[in-house]
Amino acid sequence: MSTIIQAQQLSKSFGRHQVLKELNFTIEAGEPIALIGPNGAGKTTLFSILCGFLAQDAGSIEIFGQKPGSDALSGKVSALPQDAMLDPNFSIGTQLTFYGQLQGMNKTTAIAETKRVLALVDLADYFSQKATVLSHGMRKRVAIAQALLGQPELVLLDEPTAGLDPVNALQVRQIIANLTSEATFMISSHNIFELERLCGTVLYLEHGKLVQQRSLQQGAVGYLNLQLENADAAQVLAVLRQLPGVHSVDNVQKNEFALHFDRELAPELDITRLGVLRAQGWQYRSLTQGRTLEQQLFAVANG
Amino acid sequence: MSTTSISRFCRNTWLITRFELFRLFGSPRGWFALAAFAVIWFLILRYPIFEASSALQQADTQAMLRSVFGMVGLYQLMAWPLPELIAYWLICLVLLPLAAIVTSADQTCSDRARGTLRFLTLRTSRDSIFFGRFLGQWLVQGLLIVISILATLGLALWRQHSLSFAAFEAALIMALNLMIVLAPFTALMAVCSVLVRSSKFAICLAIVGGGVVIGLISWAGWYFPDTLRLLQYVPGAQLPALLAGQGWSTLKEVTLPLAQTLVLLGLGRMALQGKSL
Repeated sequence: MSTIIQAQQLSKSFGRHQVLKELNFTIEAGEPIALIGPNGAGKTTLFSILCGFLAQDAGSIEIFGQKPGSDALSGKVSALPQDAMLDPNFSIGTQLTFYGQLQGMNKTTAIAETKRVLALVDLADYFSQKATVLSHGMRKRVAIAQALLGQPELVLLDEPTAGLDPVNALQVRQIIANLTSEATFMISSHNIFELERLCGTVLYLEHGKLVQQRSLQQGAVGYLNLQLENADAAQVLAVLRQLPGVHSVDNVQKNEFALHFDRELAPELDITRLGVLRAQGWQYRSLTQGRTLEQQLFAVANG
Repeated sequence: MSTTSISRFCRNTWLITRFELFRLFGSPRGWFALAAFAVIWFLILRYPIFEASSALQQADTQAMLRSVFGMVGLYQLMAWPLPELIAYWLICLVLLPLAAIVTSADQTCSDRARGTLRFLTLRTSRDSIFFGRFLGQWLVQGLLIVISILATLGLALWRQHSLSFAAFEAALIMALNLMIVLAPFTALMAVCSVLVRSSKFAICLAIVGGGVVIGLISWAGWYFPDTLRLLQYVPGAQLPALLAGQGWSTLKEVTLPLAQTLVLLGLGRMALQGKSL
């Protein structure tokens, strides 16, 4: 895998407020990368620096070995900037075609490419419409469409599903999932569950610091999450803790249990556990392999 | 800068320039602006230019104006071949710089406020955007000058049923001069547009900023008279010399406005490069 982003000692302040504090990270091409953090953590600032909209105060950052915003990255890196809007005086088709031409396409190719990306976000009928006639969700999808023009190698999406209804949000997730083989996506969001489904690597920012960077792959230690219909928590804990290979069982929420086990000692714990559930007459709602992204992040972030 | 970068810069700058022309001639908002332009120029042609040209045909009026303009150094103003062109020249040299400040105020500011500039900078350099927008505005002004001067010639043709070669030549000289006169004002608005986030604020900045600069120079001139020479370098400082000139010799005044344009564009480029989007 090749390195696409490399940041060293990256810092940025607005006045006295330091938004990014000496970030060091490397991103490889491949699976989508999640950028997670609470409000004010510095996610949008980091995105703005990656896009070349802002300059860092200290440190260095390179995308494909180039400075962000450099001419060599034109068409190679695309983005959905937060809150950016199209010009209300021109049709969506006119503007996206113009963007395509700026990326180096001729007019015929740019028109065809505009139609292709609008079809991808299910807005093919809006080629001749102005952005002012679109709803918030549709504008967001058009903004995503412009990020897919051409063949970008890195697509930066800042809050791609913020403000979208569940149907549109699902559609956006599907678009990203379908295109992950063609480009590397970097997605910032508050929605941890959404990122869990899409991303293979996570950057967790808090108060401008990179708290952790981790891959969401399974290790030798196994985790299972079990959500039951109404059950006696004490009884469940007692039964599950006796299963072979299980290190610990926690009642994380009402009717929800997290198992921590050794993969080598209990390679088929999920099957065993289904047998136990059946034997005890417990109905289950869900059975999930691995820790949730939330558990992974906050287990470390909270020590 | 490699050859590929230069050719990409030129290509994208031209694409942005063309899009500015399309903004005027290819969008409903542009058509509305053109309609407003046509109405304003109809009124200017019908009243100031038509009435002034009628008056200028009277021998006694001509003699009186020659002596009046002569007193203020504008000896050659009455020597332009058509009375319509004399009125047009006077009106344009006074009004067009102000019109350029208003019409070219929104080169990048509203796009920056809206975030549209972010979509553009992902695809092309800030230099292409800055120079493309400036060139687009300048060309739009050039086209409107050509249209208005052709309308003025049309008015003269309607009056006297023929036009001399000298009239066409004078029209060409005036159009070229006006283009050059407007260049520093358009570049000034390119700078102001980078500095603020709305066209109204850009206009205020240009007018108030210009006033403050002239005021400061005048104030400094009270104590250090040599500083008053700086007034010779503010945009539009060559206009009295243009009014006093005649024919192709007026083009000897191009150095100052072209130099002002280059300096202002350099400042604007630097400002945009350092600007957060």
